[in-house]
Amino acid sequence: MKGFTTKSIHIERFKPDVHGALRMPVYDSVAFEHASSKDIQLAFEGKKPSHSYSRISNPTVEEFEQKIRVLSDAFAVLAVSSGMAAISNTILTLAGANTNIVTSKHLFGNTFSLFEHTLKPWGLETRYVSMSNPDEVANAIDENTRAVFLENITNPQMEVADIAKISKITKEKKVPLIIDGTVTTPYLFKSKDFGVNIELISSTKYISGGATSVGGLIIDNGNFDWKNSPKLAEMARKRGPGALMSILKQEVYRNMGACHSAHNAYLQTLGLETMGMRIDRSCENTLGLANYLSQHAKVVGVNYPGLTDSPYHEVAKKQFGGKYGGILTMDLESKDACYCFMDELKLIKRATNINDNKTMIIHPNSTIYCEYSEEEKLGMGIRPTMLRVAVGIEDLEDLLNDFEQGLDKL
Amino acid sequence: MKIKVNGEEQAVEGSSISIAQLLKLNEVENPGMVTVQLDGEFVDKDNYEATQVKENNEVEFLYYMGGGSV
Repeated sequence: MKGFTTKSIHIERFKPDVHGALRMPVYDSVAFEHASSKDIQLAFEGKKPSHSYSRISNPTVEEFEQKIRVLSDAFAVLAVSSGMAAISNTILTLAGANTNIVTSKHLFGNTFSLFEHTLKPWGLETRYVSMSNPDEVANAIDENTRAVFLENITNPQMEVADIAKISKITKEKKVPLIIDGTVTTPYLFKSKDFGVNIELISSTKYISGGATSVGGLIIDNGNFDWKNSPKLAEMARKRGPGALMSILKQEVYRNMGACHSAHNAYLQTLGLETMGMRIDRSCENTLGLANYLSQHAKVVGVNYPGLTDSPYHEVAKKQFGGKYGGILTMDLESKDACYCFMDELKLIKRATNINDNKTMIIHPNSTIYCEYSEEEKLGMGIRPTMLRVAVGIEDLEDLLNDFEQGLDKL
Repeated sequence: MKIKVNGEEQAVEGSSISIAQLLKLNEVENPGMVTVQLDGEFVDKDNYEATQVKENNEVEFLYYMGGGSV
């Protein structure tokens, strides 16, 4: 099997089902019995692969994790309750008080809030740099840096950093490189091939298969020596390449209660099987819409890495195999024009999500980033004239017609 | 020969056995989910076929799914 979609459908089951069910059943059970006292001891020591308690592991969740592991050619995968849980659990595992992480000035609003409002009071410093300038990344890293974190297409700024250049720096500095790969998934972006050590994904988006469920993934590519990460060094001596997963499973993830539900894992395993087709369609639609909008007299600007005049086009082409994701931003003359246009749309939903089957539009400045000052928003590239469009898999002609009639009203 | 697997003594036919064969012998359903230690040293997954376990060696199969006091 070579193709991503074939693999996602036909990857061999990891454990045979007693009834031969072709689809992994939903194991809605909290506790699992062991055959003997010795068996339960071995399970707790991590020396026997059996489930004990669904906050720690669950058969349906495990099936989902293992499918992702094979599809991303990773060392290990942990499914968690949301994309934000994937980010918070990973940072809490690697960093702590009196340490720092280096990240982008362009971040998803809730991720910025996690770093600035949730983790800063506990003593973690976050250093914001331009990921388009690798020298800034190199200069920001010091002996207390525990990770470099960035989104591979920033939401909603649409910045695409050259990840191979950044991973060369993090490898030299022996600091793990973490990518939020939500908008590309392993279908478009082979993070391991670009030197990424940990990939985090909100499985709520493309993977869930139409916004059915919330979830997140922590993917350890197995290419970082955890002895070089101070909080993990001791565990690395005991557990070698499994140090990150061991600390998550035996401490951070377990204690934070970030478990994925069996039902959501079932839905997302199902979503995975059609994900490749849905991503192809949404990328085609987004490119078609971007080309249309960039020619429209009432549209001030369009930001999409698929457009050849985007400053990120060439690097995106190299990294994502000629597809550019399902999100674009467009600027109109004013905030009022943005609101007027949104309110005239008939088909496209006024809602916040990305990579759904449905196309959605939002005004990030007044919603996702509403808790920040105008100065902070401008620093993050969130203009009051900007709309974010998360493009779905509808027929392009219908989307263009809705945009056309909405723009006609301005 | 006698070896130890996860602290338990195990009798194995012959004078050596590869890690890959030992995983099969112990009915490890999914070798991709296990990390193996041979006498305290981690064995790379790519070397499971080539690495031989011999008399009195101690092998640990480590998983990430269990764990924790609940």
